[in-house]
Amino acid sequence: MSAPDSPKRQTANAPRKPQVGASTHKVSLKDQLNGWAQQHQLVAVETLMRLLTKPLGSIMTWLVIAISLTLPGAMWMTLDNLSQLSNRFQASGSMSVYLKPAVQDTQAQQLLSCIESMDGVADVRFISADDALAEFRASSGLGEALDLLPENPLPGVIVVEPELALPQQDVIALADSLRSEPRVDSVELDTAWLDRLHALLALSERIVWVMGALLALGILLVVGNTIRLSIAARVDEIRVTKLVGATNAWVRRPFLYTGLWFGMVGGLVSWILLAIGWALVSGPVEDLAALYGSEYRLLPLSAGAALVLLLGAMLLGWLGAWWSVVRHLHRIEP
Amino acid sequence: MPMVRFDGVSKSYPGGKEALSKVSFELARGEFAFLTGHSGAGKSTLLKLMLQMERPSKGQVFVDGDCVNTMKSSLVPLLRRKVGVVFQNHQLLFDRSVYDNVAMPLLIAGYQPAEAARRVRAALDSVGLLGFERRNPIELSGGEQQRVGIARAVVNKPQLLLADEPTGNLDPELSEEIMKLFLRFQQVGVTVLIATHDIPLIERMGHRRLILDHGSLHDSGGQRAGFERGDHVRT
Repeated sequence: MSAPDSPKRQTANAPRKPQVGASTHKVSLKDQLNGWAQQHQLVAVETLMRLLTKPLGSIMTWLVIAISLTLPGAMWMTLDNLSQLSNRFQASGSMSVYLKPAVQDTQAQQLLSCIESMDGVADVRFISADDALAEFRASSGLGEALDLLPENPLPGVIVVEPELALPQQDVIALADSLRSEPRVDSVELDTAWLDRLHALLALSERIVWVMGALLALGILLVVGNTIRLSIAARVDEIRVTKLVGATNAWVRRPFLYTGLWFGMVGGLVSWILLAIGWALVSGPVEDLAALYGSEYRLLPLSAGAALVLLLGAMLLGWLGAWWSVVRHLHRIEP
Repeated sequence: MPMVRFDGVSKSYPGGKEALSKVSFELARGEFAFLTGHSGAGKSTLLKLMLQMERPSKGQVFVDGDCVNTMKSSLVPLLRRKVGVVFQNHQLLFDRSVYDNVAMPLLIAGYQPAEAARRVRAALDSVGLLGFERRNPIELSGGEQQRVGIARAVVNKPQLLLADEPTGNLDPELSEEIMKLFLRFQQVGVTVLIATHDIPLIERMGHRRLILDHGSLHDSGGQRAGFERGDHVRT
């Protein structure tokens, strides 16, 4: 913009007659910075337009990137949902606190109110030895055999429901502290299957990471190769620009932006694919959960995860382009 | 400080072929000179040395006081922005308009678009191609393409203008027109060196001649004009 109020501009504009002179035009730092920013903008738009005007070649690359991202993305979403689900299971796991046989019901009631006031406890329920026996008698059908016993073999039980949001280690800690109570004989907490589930989830997560890393490498190769082809197609242009004073950074720039766009569009397409996948699956999952009397809903990809997906894809595209540019560009000299 | 100084410059290629041998000369600021010699005499090599497109095997090349052959590669772009080059095959890009071709050095140098537009028009005007901005160079005649190449070479107001066989494919009339164009740039202070083997043309025009013969340089002397210096030219 040649603002007429800028004195610098005016001196630059003043010698109109000799349009080509030996005096070089000095570009001020501010102008240089502006020019640099504009150049970036220009290159960014230009490279995107270039990709969009030749969509056939770009679409393949975009789809390859999108699919490479969608596979680990979908697995990650599944795992995320499973671990959410497993947290629910774990939270609903109540524990049975068996009292020593000598403990009287009144003492048990004292203990009950003591446990009820502990942190992380949602609900407590006392089943006295007599109640337990009556229940056992009713459910087992061993009524007469039980009558033969000289005394009630069953201990009193306090059933402790931990709070829903209590993390697993806190549940275990609660069980441990109950175990140390003198009136408590043993505490039973069925976590073995949960442990197995968690181990399985951890393993699956590791597999997702390894797969993700391999597919990321695939994206690097695909973008790198696409950029290599586009460098090869623009050899003349690169030679001419270097000849008229283009820096290496200037020559690299359009290719790096191209990589960035590949990554970004690939990431967006992948996000759309994941959203479609979620929409297709979430209905049936809800129906299934309803059959089990649960209100479980499949979680969509969170905004944060979507952002990570997009930025990660852009980074991969940029890195792939960088890798290709470093390998091929220095060979092209005027 | 001369615009160009060659100091005992030799250039040999792998395989032992010596393109230049112990070439020394100076070009004063604002001077106009021809570089002649049979094809393969090393004219292009000599020009390329000034842009660090090649490096000498021996000796030193100075442009605007800077030693080109030892220049860090990060500074080479700045050197090339000071030097305009015109090629026989003009090196235009046919995937863009005349305007975009000419504007390229300005965009690289970081000019504002408005300022660049002004300069592109001025450069096109100076080569008589105003109004050709939107055309594709492929639609233009050989002489017009060459003039677009010249406009691109001068658009950034270089201190030094080099031309490698700029009239190689043109008929004598057009060639003379192009040469007059170069003279006009010299008149506004640009140092001009033109490599050509068009002997009749440069004899008509006079001016200093640097003659390359199998890699060795003979200087016709610093005379600005005159057919009469022709007898000094050893061929």
